[in-house]
This record gives sequence, C-alpha cells and structure tokens, in this order.
Amino acid sequence: MDRNQLIKWLKTPAKMSHKYSLHAVYFCTGCGIIEVPPSITARWDAERFGVVPAATPRQANLFLITGYVSVKTLKAIIRTYEQMPSPKYSVGFGSCPINGGMYWDSYNTIKHLDKYIPIDGWIAGCMPRPEAIFVAVTHLWTLIDKDMADGYKRYEKHYSAFRANQEQVLGPLPWPPLFSSRETE
Amino acid sequence: MELLNMHPLIVIVLTPIAALLAGLFFMGVTRKFTARIHWRYGPPITQPLIDIMRMFSQRPVSHGTMFHGGVILSLAGALAVLLFIPFGNIPPLSGSGGLLVILYLLLVAPLGLALSSGEGANPNASIGISRKLMLSLGYEVPLLLILLTLMTRYGTLSIYDIVHAQQETQWALVTVPLFISGIAYILILPAVLGIRPFEVVQAAQEISSGPLVEYSGPYLGLVHLEHGLTLVINIALFVNLFMGGAQNILLFFVKMIIILLAGLSINAVFPRLRTDQAVSWLWRWPALLALTGLITVMIWR
Amino acid sequence: MTHPMVKNLKSMFKPIAVKQQDERRIMLNVPKDSLMSVLIFLKNSGYAHLGLISCVDRIADNKFELVYIVSAYVEEDVDDSMKATFVVSTFVSRKDPRFITCIPVFINAEPYERELHELYGIVFEGHPRLTPLLLEREYPIPPMRKDFDSRAYVEEVFDTVPFVDQEDDS
Repeated sequence: MDRNQLIKWLKTPAKMSHKYSLHAVYFCTGCGIIEVPPSITARWDAERFGVVPAATPRQANLFLITGYVSVKTLKAIIRTYEQMPSPKYSVGFGSCPINGGMYWDSYNTIKHLDKYIPIDGWIAGCMPRPEAIFVAVTHLWTLIDKDMADGYKRYEKHYSAFRANQEQVLGPLPWPPLFSSRETE
Repeated sequence: MELLNMHPLIVIVLTPIAALLAGLFFMGVTRKFTARIHWRYGPPITQPLIDIMRMFSQRPVSHGTMFHGGVILSLAGALAVLLFIPFGNIPPLSGSGGLLVILYLLLVAPLGLALSSGEGANPNASIGISRKLMLSLGYEVPLLLILLTLMTRYGTLSIYDIVHAQQETQWALVTVPLFISGIAYILILPAVLGIRPFEVVQAAQEISSGPLVEYSGPYLGLVHLEHGLTLVINIALFVNLFMGGAQNILLFFVKMIIILLAGLSINAVFPRLRTDQAVSWLWRWPALLALTGLITVMIWR
Repeated sequence: MTHPMVKNLKSMFKPIAVKQQDERRIMLNVPKDSLMSVLIFLKNSGYAHLGLISCVDRIADNKFELVYIVSAYVEEDVDDSMKATFVVSTFVSRKDPRFITCIPVFINAEPYERELHELYGIVFEGHPRLTPLLLEREYPIPPMRKDFDSRAYVEEVFDTVPFVDQEDDS
C-alpha cells in the first residue's frame, strides 16, 4: 500500500484524503451484496484501507453497485447517486453491470450501466471474492492519483445525454434535472 | 499545583486547537482499539484526520441558513465549554463559578445539532434528535446529583478549587464519602460520551445515523470534530472532578487515555440499549447511587 | 404407501387425476370447474396453507396450466400420518385466459394472482387489484409467455440506448 509517501501527501492533501477515506454506500443490489459483509468484518478487514460503510448516501463517496440492475432498481440507483456529494466514485461489481452478465437477454434488467450513470471501474466476476474488492480499491487509488477517476465530472458535463438515456428506459422522470443545461455549456 | 501564567487570549486560541487535535487522536485511538479487540488490524490512528480532510474538500448540499448556523452553533458551544475546564496546568478562562457555567454550556452543542438537523426535513433526523434529548434527560439527573455532591463536599463552585483540594489530599475517587458518587459517574460515563451501550443516538443501522442523516461534506466534518471534542470535554471533566486533575498536561493526557481505553473496552463488546431501557436504567442505579452519595456527604459534615 | 387422502379425493370428485409422486407429495389434475371445490375440501381437511400459485405455459396444447401448492403449515392441523403437500393443477384456455380468484378460500393468494396477471396475462375475476407488481415498463405481450421474443425485445429497447459520448476528455 502506498500510504507512506509524505511528499506526495503534502503536495495534494485533498487528493490523498479522497483516496484513503472511501466511505461506501451500503446499497444492496442483487446478489453481490453477499460479498460485502465478509470484506468489512474481521477476516478481510476493509477498514484498514479506509473503506467503511456509510449510513446514508450523503455521507458517502464510494458507490458499489453489486450485482444485476433491474429497471426498478435503476431508479433508486440514480436517486442515490445524485444525492452523494461530489467528488464521488462508483464501481461496478460483478459481470451484470458490465454487459448484462447472466441476464443478458432478460426483459427487465439493464445491460450496460455505464449508459445511465458514470462508472469509474469494474470488477469482473460472478461474484468476485472479497480480495477482488481490495484490488479494486487499490486500483481506484492509482486512478485517483492520475486524475482518471472523474465519473462525477463526466456526469455533470454530459448530463443531458445521461438523462436522455435514463428517460428512454424509465419514462419521464419525476425529479427535476440535477444540473441545468446552462452550466454544462 | 501552579497554574501557568498565560494571557487569556493565548488560552482562547491555543486550547481549542489542541483540543481538536486531541479529539481527532482520541477518535483514531477508538477505531484502532476497537479493531484490535475485534481481532483485525484497523485503520491507522490518523484516519479521522484523513476523513475530516476529505469531508471538507467535498461540495456539500445545504438545506438553508438554520442548517448552516446550527452546526456552527454546536461546534461553538463545544469550544466554549472547553475554555472553562482546566487541563493540567493550563488555566481555565475563569476560576469562579466554573461548574455552573459548564452545566449550562454543555447543552448548547446538542441544541445546535437539534436545530440544524431539524432543517433537513428527514424523519430519521427527528427520531434521532428526540432520542438524543431523551438520553440527555436520562443522564442529566444522576450527573446533577453528582455535581451537587461535589459542590457540597468541597464547598466551592470552581473546578480549579476542587482540583487543587484533591491534589493536596487524594483523589476524590478513593475518599470515603465520595467514592459512591465516583462509581455513579463511572456508570453514566458511557451515556455522556455517547458510546455503547448508550449509543442509541447514532444508530447507523436503525435510523440511518439519526441526526447526522442529512449532513454532507463540510457539515459532516464539523459534526465529527464536535464528536471528538465531546469525548475530550467529558473525559477531562471526569478526570478533573474525581481523579484530581494533574500537575502538568502530559500526566493529564495519560489519565484521559486510561479512562478512554476503559470506556472503549466496554464499547467494543456491548450492543445498544433501547432508549426506554437506557433511560430507565440511568434513572435507577446510577441515580440511586448518586442520591446515596449526596445524602452521605450531607450527613458526614 | 398410499396416502389416505388419495382415496377420499378419488371418491369425492369425478373426474380427477391423482398421482402420488412421493410419500408426502400428491399431484392432482382437475377440470377448471371443480378446482374451487377441491381447494375448499383440502382446506377443510386441515391443509390450510397455500404455498404458491404458479403457471406453466403449455404452448403446444394451447393451454395455461395453473398450479396451486397446498399443504399443512401448522403442526396441529393434521396428524403426522396425514401430512402431505398437494400440487393441484388445472388447464385454462390460452386464447382468452380468465379464471376466478381464490382469495375467498386462501386470503394470501392476492400477490400470486397479481404476479400471474402481470407476467402471463391471466385475468382473475374478483381480484381487488390487478395492478403491476414487479415490472415497470409496458410489454407487447406478457413477458413470461413462450412466444415472447426476449432477445428481440432487448435489442429493440436496451441495445438502442446510445453510449454516452466520451471524447477523450478523461
């Protein structure tokens, strides 16, 4: 782990703090949530990475979408993602958010989650082991270092495209747009 | 014990900074110690500092002026209490009447939290705040009796005089009429600090962390700082009232750490009590012990 | 060993097809007019718990097979020798699938029938609310039927959503 790099810390303390303090929203989609409790308890301790489950989306900055996403769940995911304060990172967990996974020809699941909310990283597997969560967290650290984990910036920049996709699948959305289009010009 | 001769302005500036850092250190010790009790490694001790830095660098969602103001009021209240407690040989802001002022100012912090979390319009926040106020109702009764006992025994309202008297004789915790009140204070200390078994206020799984449910970014950072400060203040109060303060600040710090670790050993293995269970227990045994202590002291003279 | 209820059922209801698959599992098939009486008889004999209502799409015979799984949940309702699970099935036409609700007999049938209405299109007369339970969208035909082309639906609805354009700005 790259925690002992004092010079890098002193140069960009905000970035260091975003890396080492990832509070994860405890959102339980589908089957992948069974892999999260083992990773936060005593055997595979996620707290030493700084990853702690947060009680509400407003207190979190990491969103783990574990498992398949049905159309009804997509509504909840969008609302949760929009409640989180930025900068925020989202990680797709398992093969179902990547390309549909086992439910690739199902009538009620979303096949590519990246079309609806921005995803910074993917973990392949069905289900990935808890060690894979930690590999993903350390990989997310390197992405944050290189400024490549900018899902929240992409969301603001292309918000009209994301919202058009969301409305194409869900119908007219009952909540107002998060960013007015004037800001993204 | 000689108090350092410091200008009050220096006290006002230095003490809050030192106490905030000590609060962060105590929170870090909390997480590390609890993790070790759970047979896992736990985060580094500087983790709360990293958390707070992260929270302050996020873009928040505000719910209005009262939301903003309540959080600042809460932190300000906690800092104000801090200035009236002697830490080792750092002088408090005012010597006389210290205990009464502390009693009043201790309620400003929960009040600020109640004002601001009510603005969030989240029902979980209202439930959390009502639980918090009911819990403070629970521990205020024994706490007032204990403080009355101390005031009667030493015949003074000033904390500095109580500390001085204990340093000339012995700790209040081991003197004969006062050890009853000491045990009562040890029994209510988890409730005052907000750790298990009295952690009903911030029940993360039950009511989505109660009053903290709508805080994001810098507001959450301020609330975390206030939580650390509450730890420091209440443990310092106990050490001053019953363990005789200390000659210098390092020894004071050591005593605070011992009390913290003792409290954490209970926090790590207990579940939470419900609000009604907590209040009924707090009004039974600690209150009876405190009342016994008060009557004993009044008869003893 | 033949379950004693087999004989009772055969004598009381004609026509009925009874098959004892296992020591405690009995499969029945009845015409749809006598299904309610069979369910009421089973309930009065002590098997008062409806576990599931399901449906099989027999597209070759042009029928829906409605399946009701009934058993004794509470221990005191039946003796130990009489314990069994009854799988009662009946055929309903596929062209215009209608049936009556069994809520008056088993009150917990409401969500099962609602789900079957949503996924297969079977209308249960007398049901208080046949509104959508699980699905959020409209489908051309109810999606669990065997002539619903799932792959074509996915291609038409989900694959046509464009990827968000990301010119190299990351």
